[in-house]
Amino acid sequence: MLDLLAQTGLNAVYAASYISLVAVGLVLIFGVMGVINFAHGELFMAGAYAIVALYAGLNVPFFLAVAAGLLFVGCLGLLMERALFRPLKDNPLGGLVASIGFLMILQALAVMGFGVRMVHIPPVTQEVIAFSEKVRLPVARLYVIIAAIVLLSALWYFLKRTKFGWALRASAQDPEAAALQGISITQTARIAMFIGAGLAGIAGALTAPLVSVNPHMGHSVIVTAFIVIIVGGVGSLEGAIVASVAYALVHTFVTTFWDGVLADIVGLSLMLLVLIVKPTGLFGSADRA
Amino acid sequence: MPKFLIWIAALAALIALPHGLSFSQQEILVFLTINVLLVASYRLLTLTGEWSLGHVVIMGVGAYSSALLTKKLGVYVPVSMLLGGVFAALIAVLLSFPLFRMKGFYFLIGSFAAGEIIRLLWKRFRDPFGGAKGIKGIDPMPDFSVGFYQFDFFEPTSYYYFAGVVVAVCLWILWRIEKSPVGLTFHAVHWQDKLAQASGVNVRAYRTLAFAIASGFAGISGALLAHYVGTINPNAFDIDLMVFVLTWAIVGGTATFYGPILGCVVLTVINEVVLRELGLEQMRPLIYGAIMILSILFLPNGLESIVQKFTQRRASNGAPERSPAE
Amino acid sequence: MISKIVKSGLTRRTFLHSTAAAAMSAGLPGTSLAAGSTIKIGFLAPLTGAVAAWGKPGLDGCEIWAERVNAAGGIKLGDGSHNVEFVAYDNEYDPAKARTGATKLIREDGVSFIMMLGGDTWPGVQPVADKTGMLFSTLLPSDLSPDTNTLIAPAEVHPIYNVTGVEWLAENRPELKTAVMCAQDDALGLPSVATYLAAFEAAGIEMLDAPLLFDPATTDFAPVVTRLISKNPDIVCLDTCYSDYVHPIAEQLFQQGFKGQIISCTADFYDQMIAKTSEEFMEGFVFQFPDFDDPALNGDNINFTDPNGFYAEFNKRHPGQWGAVSWEYASIMDLWKAAAEKAGSASPDAVAAAMKEGKGKHAFGDADWWGTELFGIDNALVGDWPVVAIEGGKATIKEFRSIPDWYAKHGDLLVKHMQAYDQMWDQRS
Repeated sequence: MLDLLAQTGLNAVYAASYISLVAVGLVLIFGVMGVINFAHGELFMAGAYAIVALYAGLNVPFFLAVAAGLLFVGCLGLLMERALFRPLKDNPLGGLVASIGFLMILQALAVMGFGVRMVHIPPVTQEVIAFSEKVRLPVARLYVIIAAIVLLSALWYFLKRTKFGWALRASAQDPEAAALQGISITQTARIAMFIGAGLAGIAGALTAPLVSVNPHMGHSVIVTAFIVIIVGGVGSLEGAIVASVAYALVHTFVTTFWDGVLADIVGLSLMLLVLIVKPTGLFGSADRA
Repeated sequence: MPKFLIWIAALAALIALPHGLSFSQQEILVFLTINVLLVASYRLLTLTGEWSLGHVVIMGVGAYSSALLTKKLGVYVPVSMLLGGVFAALIAVLLSFPLFRMKGFYFLIGSFAAGEIIRLLWKRFRDPFGGAKGIKGIDPMPDFSVGFYQFDFFEPTSYYYFAGVVVAVCLWILWRIEKSPVGLTFHAVHWQDKLAQASGVNVRAYRTLAFAIASGFAGISGALLAHYVGTINPNAFDIDLMVFVLTWAIVGGTATFYGPILGCVVLTVINEVVLRELGLEQMRPLIYGAIMILSILFLPNGLESIVQKFTQRRASNGAPERSPAE
Repeated sequence: MISKIVKSGLTRRTFLHSTAAAAMSAGLPGTSLAAGSTIKIGFLAPLTGAVAAWGKPGLDGCEIWAERVNAAGGIKLGDGSHNVEFVAYDNEYDPAKARTGATKLIREDGVSFIMMLGGDTWPGVQPVADKTGMLFSTLLPSDLSPDTNTLIAPAEVHPIYNVTGVEWLAENRPELKTAVMCAQDDALGLPSVATYLAAFEAAGIEMLDAPLLFDPATTDFAPVVTRLISKNPDIVCLDTCYSDYVHPIAEQLFQQGFKGQIISCTADFYDQMIAKTSEEFMEGFVFQFPDFDDPALNGDNINFTDPNGFYAEFNKRHPGQWGAVSWEYASIMDLWKAAAEKAGSASPDAVAAAMKEGKGKHAFGDADWWGTELFGIDNALVGDWPVVAIEGGKATIKEFRSIPDWYAKHGDLLVKHMQAYDQMWDQRS
């Protein structure tokens, strides 16, 4: 029983890691750009396909391929900023529709380039850290956990301790006042889109060898990310991380001790409950919605 | 009066329309007619400034209720359709208690979660909802004759006339609501939330009212669909269709009554007729997505803005439409 | 106006003679073929969207089938030889679009037969089938009911063939006594769960836990696997999980240290699974879908035309895409061709009558039209089915086993479990 609890705990830590990478990126984009990026799940998918093309296809070393995936998806973010969100910056619903259009394009491109079926990615490592016979942490999963901790800490440092980060937070809180302070809104938007998309991309790239990569894999990721950022409070990075951990714990434990369908119902119900009790999420403030 | 003549001509064109189409296009026309009601009812909700992602599930509530009423209780089909709408409105009132504590983005996602829970319940409770396979063999609309026309509801043309009349009546009611004092209050709730509240308007009650009315008509559109296709399942009311409804409304523009309808018609014709006939198969979603992006970039006020330009130039002395301030 | 756009040219292989076909009368599809003209077969399945993996590879297989048949002189009917051509309509796995597609294929394209994936989409098409008398096929026999007279399930008899794998396992590995199972909670997963439960009960294998259901949107299977192996089962059963689930589940079983037996309905791309785990881990993995280069498929009992050549050609054109659906639609076409040639006509009535006369030529051997007890109608072609095991990294047919023989002994168990999961034809609302 203790083994089961420990293994489930490890499963939850891994789930929290990749969910928080995706959710934090989504929050960052929403905070700075004010648009809901429906294509965020497809950015995750694009990161996974970068691994398919580079690591599985061209035998590029895995971590190099991951870095390339981060850059590639970050650039997709820049493209979205320039082509979609900047022209539509006074039209949040327009931004929503444009991101939906963009996700359809990304999905179709994946289908045309790699087929409708799942694609194969050879394992990066098959090593497992065995704490006991029944408590085991695959090293490939450990990479995701480490990446999440390192990247999110770096992001936290960047936002709280650097000038850029200060500018980014200022324009997220009040774009007009920030502009008066001489902060370039365009510049901060670019940085936010690059980081936000890049985080989704690296999450997709790192988990690609661990999940089934197919053109529609972004769908379940975006649904989870939406739940998480709502529970955490839209626009709150801390909230997104706390909610990711909470959601991963609840979902993993309910799946293991009851069943997976019930876990989804419980997750959604908890989210509604949070919203009823505190309609702006755990860490949200009323003025951002 | 020329306006009167225009209506007559439009009516004649709508009656003649199916006879100029191929069989499969007639089928598409039926679904298009039903979706017109869906998207028009969605607009009523957006008048109050709230964008829901649960509207298609509410449509499904109407479809499930109407299907179950006929299947289990033997209710006469047109009556059950109406009851399906009533049921959808009641569910909306229930949902409004948790949902209207939220606004904006929270409401958007909250409504999505509420919809997902309903869908999961349909899947979970195989009795009476049929689980993931849903319900099949739903009674069709009983055939009847009106003397000069024999309604055979297997034929898309017949069902198009029937659904067309239902949808026209519903649209007329929606239009009357919008032009009534209640409808004007909906606008006020959106644009001057605080002011409306200060002047004694119960904002929450009006939001709920708009949500319930919109849901009722969405329920009727769901029932129209269920009794034509004869089968419904939880996946038919998933987020994919909701995304389409959302894009119809926004690409068409929501400042006017006809904007979302225009968006629905144009995008459906492009996706289901033009792109299919081009034989694009796997490229279809790509081109559809690109068209959506281009239209939102170059027509930020929706397709309706083209029509507005055209009509305003023609009738420069007429009263101008409400300007699309969004 | 719409028809104007449509008629403005833009013909492609999939868009055929709309004007000529529109002039054709509504209810009489494909009864009169001009001598030497091309026979059209409808392919009505999801080609885009999340379920496309169940349609698109099948269409790819059919294109190969058509080329091979045409090269060999086409289909020989009473009035001479006809080439055959597939007309596809993407139904996006939506019943309303499936209805539209069926109408187009029958009334505008004039097809003689329509193949579907079935499932959610069949009930939308059924009224069209009833009115036009068109012959349809499905891959999912659970679409069958007493009133589906023109629907046949001639290739896949999912999920009943799963009993053969369990029965084989019980005979050849009698030391395995306990099992657990997981499945996605959908229309494919549940009847399969009932079938495996019946098969395990019949084989005297004890279930340690109720089947663990997960949502079809699940991507991370670590929690599912942790639960599955927590009671140390001898056998882990993956039910009819799609390959998108089978692969990560197998990988997790490997990494969480499971060393027992795995049984699954499918193992598409099993070579990738071996790459993700190890050859020793996958050794003895039991499933139901052979590679078509298997020498056992060259036996006289097999009715599929040149399985090895078909497999080679498919892999040449679509490397790494071979799976169950690649051959199933094509095998239905073999059956249809044989029936049409026997009847000397492509008309749906004549073909259906010829098809159902005596033994049916199922891909895996002559079989019986069967199913009244389970489906309410004898429109599923049920006979032998291969049990496949992975040996030395290669899928190998171990044995062909008779489904009707199993059913004769244990049919009551299957009915019992099907009823418990509301999957009998008279329970489906």
